[in-house]
Amino acid sequence: MQEHFSQEIENLKTNLIKMASIVDEQVDKAINALESGNIELCKGVKSKDLEVDAYDNLIQTQCENILALFQPVASDLRLVMSAIMINNNLERCGDIAVNISQRIKKAGNERSLISESQIIDMARTAQVMLKNSIESFIKNDTELASKVIAGDEEVDKLNKQIFNFLVSKMQSNNELIEACTHLVVMSRHIERMADHATNIAENLVFYVEAKIVAHSKKFQNFIKE
Amino acid sequence: MIDNPKIVVENFNLHYGKKKALNNISIKIPSNKVTALIGPSGCGKSTFLRSLNRMNDLIDGVKTDGKVLLDNLNIYDKNIDVVELRKKIGMIFQKSNPFPKSIYENVAFGPKINGITDKKKLDEIVETSLLRSALWDEVKDDLNKSGLSLSGGQQQRVCIARALAVDPEILLMDEPASALDPISTTKIEDLIFELKKDYTIVIVTHNMQQASRVSDFTAFFYMGDLIEYSDTKKMFTSPDKKQTEDYIRGRFG
Repeated sequence: MQEHFSQEIENLKTNLIKMASIVDEQVDKAINALESGNIELCKGVKSKDLEVDAYDNLIQTQCENILALFQPVASDLRLVMSAIMINNNLERCGDIAVNISQRIKKAGNERSLISESQIIDMARTAQVMLKNSIESFIKNDTELASKVIAGDEEVDKLNKQIFNFLVSKMQSNNELIEACTHLVVMSRHIERMADHATNIAENLVFYVEAKIVAHSKKFQNFIKE
Repeated sequence: MIDNPKIVVENFNLHYGKKKALNNISIKIPSNKVTALIGPSGCGKSTFLRSLNRMNDLIDGVKTDGKVLLDNLNIYDKNIDVVELRKKIGMIFQKSNPFPKSIYENVAFGPKINGITDKKKLDEIVETSLLRSALWDEVKDDLNKSGLSLSGGQQQRVCIARALAVDPEILLMDEPASALDPISTTKIEDLIFELKKDYTIVIVTHNMQQASRVSDFTAFFYMGDLIEYSDTKKMFTSPDKKQTEDYIRGRFG
């Protein structure tokens, strides 16, 4: 019974890691295409998303089965709860990689706009956050997870700067409106990706330390333990 | 953690002959709450439960020291009347054990022994006790049927009614649902939840999910030691001791 349970948990972790590596690859392709302007590099991002969605369903079913059949408690329960959340966040990151690729097809030729706007810096920062969040999950590394969580502010700041930059461009040259709009949306997608990476890291901390760190800054003045 | 203890156990030890079964147990059991005792077989949880109404006195070679204070009175004091004590403390066992008598007589047995002879009063006690044990609606037209003719789950509720009939303050339950089907188990668990409004309940169970479902506090015993005692939510989400975590996750040994 115990072995059977451990096997289920191992399978769950393995599937999450496999899914994470596909998402990581999707994001890497999309951002490489953004950086180089070579749309060809986006090839396969959309088709891989089917695979990610299949893992999404598989992992959800696995979690449901574990909860129903084994009724885990304590750290086992936290692992399953975290797995559900991480799965969800990874699936969203896969979608975002597809969204970014689509925007590149529409605005990828605006090389000077892209490089001046710092959108590539932001994308690389968010990508590192996602990579680190996945690694923190694989290694149960809460220190690395904390680094990811701390990085979110930087991305939020960049997002605002990029937004302001693109708005001023649109104001000064209305021929750039369409491209800038695509880039505003793309920037928003990248900012969301960093949020998902943060969520993954927060769930890892919840699993390892039984502490809910999400929103903790906002609430520290409301709830005192 | 516990503001209004019904039972306070202080440095309690119990030996079966030379074998020590309980080792320096100190614990406060809150009134009107359900406290679950969990732990592997032989860990001392049933021995501890039976120490709370001095059932172990009946076993040869049992020696105890330390205190068990019920409402601040040490039940192990020499001048304690054990029969009086046990009136305050009802006990339900794993295997339902109704007397080979009618349902009515089963429930009226205790009050009769305690000297109540008025038929009207007895009728009232039987009805109230069966209502409280959630059995009244099922048996009210068959009160003269033998208690043994009922299903296992119903028999267990007759035993609970029998325990309630003498108006105890505490209910001790030793695996009360482990021999029952899931529907009867749910009924007993719902009943435990209802009964804690009026009684202090201590339950021994091997079923982790049952402990987490019905109890407010959980105590984990291992090899005669009380390893951890805490709010049930904390025990089943983030216990302090690794031994507790390993046990509730089923990773023991």
